[in-house]
Order: sequence, then structure tokens, then C-alpha cells
Amino acid sequence: MAPGDRLVYTYIFVMLAAGIAVAGAPLIIARLIAPWRRPGTVSVQPYECGIQPRDFAWDSRYGIAYYLYALIFLAFEVDVLYLFPAVAAFDAGAGAPVLMLLGLFLAILSLALVYAWKKGSFEWTAPEFAMTAPPRQDAP
Amino acid sequence: MDNSAMDIDVLRIVCSVVLVAAFVFANATVMGYLERKLAGRFQRRLGPMEVGWHGILQMPVDGIKLLAKRMVVPQQAEGLVFRLAPVISLSPVLLPLIAIPFSPALQVVDMPAGLIFVLAIEAFGTIGVFLAGWSANNKYAMIGAMRSVAQNIAYEIPILLVALAVALKAGSFSLAEIVLSQAALWFVALQPFGFLIYLVAGLSECNRAPFDLPEAESELTAGYLTEYSGIGFSLFMIAEYTHMFTICCLATVLFLGGWHGPALPWPAYSSAIWFFMKAYGLMFVMVWVRWTFPRVRYDQLMKFAWKYLIPFALVNLLITALVVCI
Repeated sequence: MAPGDRLVYTYIFVMLAAGIAVAGAPLIIARLIAPWRRPGTVSVQPYECGIQPRDFAWDSRYGIAYYLYALIFLAFEVDVLYLFPAVAAFDAGAGAPVLMLLGLFLAILSLALVYAWKKGSFEWTAPEFAMTAPPRQDAP
Repeated sequence: MDNSAMDIDVLRIVCSVVLVAAFVFANATVMGYLERKLAGRFQRRLGPMEVGWHGILQMPVDGIKLLAKRMVVPQQAEGLVFRLAPVISLSPVLLPLIAIPFSPALQVVDMPAGLIFVLAIEAFGTIGVFLAGWSANNKYAMIGAMRSVAQNIAYEIPILLVALAVALKAGSFSLAEIVLSQAALWFVALQPFGFLIYLVAGLSECNRAPFDLPEAESELTAGYLTEYSGIGFSLFMIAEYTHMFTICCLATVLFLGGWHGPALPWPAYSSAIWFFMKAYGLMFVMVWVRWTFPRVRYDQLMKFAWKYLIPFALVNLLITALVVCI
């Protein structure tokens, strides 16, 4: 590790420690000066506009679209990461062959996007589908 | 301990830590006040007027009030994660500020890969938001967290791609060198589409209107912030404003020529003044946009990122490579 690198890492880790201290201190101060008594049963209920919550939010269901976005993101982000070294090496004697390679790489990269587009991952399911879903079995 | 570790200047480290930490809180105070004041003006009202001259002491008073309030932890929440989420959200926001060149003299460290560092730390903010939404065990918070993650990862890719195009043009990943290479011509003139893509994606990265779907008041009460009260809430606000400032600083560095500008009567401070004027000008634009445009729908938001911004950013990168090659 070069001395310059060590200096940079020192700054990063000192700053990270300072960040944790700066963020943690107000929490501790608030704990000390804020009024402390046992909260009532109503104030510790999950906030759902006054309606008694039926079950845990962790059990609730959310759109499958989020999962698809995560998958496309994984495929895309890793590919973009490969572009960083390509860009770092680009200016050194770049010529037409290098440019064609970069173009080819970007073309292959965008195939993932084209595939997801064709599959309709960016279209959300029609709302009437959600409305005609069968009622839950455990409903009272 | 060998010799190279000894020449690390302890005084400089302490000073930069104190300055950056103080700046984070000062920025949140000033921006909180400006946002409320400007929001009032855009809506033809006065904004805060009661505490101090034209309400100038409103934010410190609010800060003290939030500090002195109880932070209610919901019964069903995962208590430890719920309390730690604000800390996880706020602690990394100090880090990008050490890599940003405010002026030739005012930069903590110039990293050879400063651009990658800032982008990587920026992406970290999503984790705090997701932990906050998940640990509250509230349906609004859960949906807000899901939205926030999906939105942030979608809009990160255009930012990376336009930043890559700029790095390609400048031939370096060091932020100071990117600024230096714009001495003759700012990159906004060479990369107008890149700048536009960056601005839109940057707004979305900060979860700000018209892309504030994770905390859309009309449908999710406050999204991932729903259960937060007292100091937890204010820590998230400080993190958000610092995040906004970093996005604007990066836009200034990448596109608006950083510290370059006509000489001012105070030559020693001229470059820093120009940098802060540009960054806060962009912040003003962000506030302006927030109080002017209506919120978009969630599927439109995601469609816009994947179908428009990313293809355009890819084409932008390819054309930049072509131009650099010629």
C-alpha cells in the first residue's frame, strides 16, 4: 500500500467513525433529556390512521414487479461495473478497434434491457386483475 | 509503526472532521429554513415568520424541540434496527464531502478514484431507508421502503452512465482533475443530455418531488418515516439534505465546471465562492421543482427510468466515446 493510499484510508475511516459519533450522539442526548415514561398502548400501535392493524406488515404482500426490477438491476449493474475499467483504459491510444469493442460491449449490455422490455417487465399488471383476486382464506 | 504512517497530519484530520460535521448540520439548518421559506413564497404565503427576524431562528428551535421529544418505538417494530436505522442513514453522508473539491485549496483528500467513491457512498443511503421502513413493521413504511429501493437502484444506473461519459471525456476519475479539465469549456456544453439525465436521476436519488413516491403523503402518509418521531425523524432529515447537497456538488463538479468562474474581488476565496454558488443554485432549482411539479405515478416513474433514461444514457456514453476517439 502506497503512503498516499494509507492517508486516504485514514481519512475515510476517521470520517466514518466521526459520522457514527455525530449520528449517535443526538440519539443519546435525546434519550437523556427527552421525557421518559412508559408509553401507553395506543401510542405504540403501528400508525394506520386509527384502525386496529390486523397483522404484521412483514406478512403483507407487495408487487412482484419489485422482484423483477431487482433482477434486472443486478444484471445491469454488474455490467456497468465492467465499464469502469474500460473507461479508465480508454483514452490510452484509443482507436477504431477499441471503439468497436466498446460499442459491442454496450450492445450486449443493452440486450438485457431489450429482453426485459419485450417480456413486459416495465408494464404493471392491470388493476382489475388485482380486484378480482379471491378473498383470503383466513379472513374473518 | 513505520515512517509513512507518522507523516499523517493529525491536526488536519481533526480540523477536517470538525468542519465537515459542522457543515452537515449547518447545511441542514440553512436548507430546512430556505425550503420552508421558498415553499411559502412559491405558494404566495410568507413561510415561517414568528421566531426571530423573518423566522430565521425557526430551524434551531425546531431542532431543540425534536431533540427534547420522546422517540416512540412501535410495539411490533424490530426495536434495535428501528433505533439504528437513522444512524446508519446519517453516518455515511459525511464521507462524500471529503472527496469533493470545493476549490483548489479546499479539498480534504483528492482520491484517484474519487468519482467512484462518491457514487458508491451515495448508493449506501438506500440501506438506511430500507432498514427504517422494514423495521417499523408498518404497512405504509414497508411499501415506502420497497418503493425507495426499487427507485434508487433504477435511477442509479443513468447516473453511473453519465458520470462514466464525463470521466471518459476528462480522462480521469479524480474529481479535482475532472474540474481542471473544464478550465476552457464546462462539460454542460459538451454533454447537455448527460446533464439533463443527471439532474432528473439526481432528483430521484434524493427521493424528492416530483419523484418522492417513497414518502408520498397522499397515499403513504410519510412512507418509511411514518413511525419515526423526535430525534429519529430529524436525523433522517439531516441525512436527506446532506444527500441533496452531495448530488448538487457532484453535478457542479461533473458538468458546471466546479470552481471555475470569473475572478471576484476576493481572489483567495473566488473559486470556493463560485463552487458554493453553483451548488446552492442547483439546490434552489431542486426546491423550485419540488413545489412546482405534481407527483408522478409509480409505474410511470419506473418506466421513465428503464425505458428512457437508461437507453439515452447508453447512447450518450457511446457518442462520447466516438467523439473522444475522433
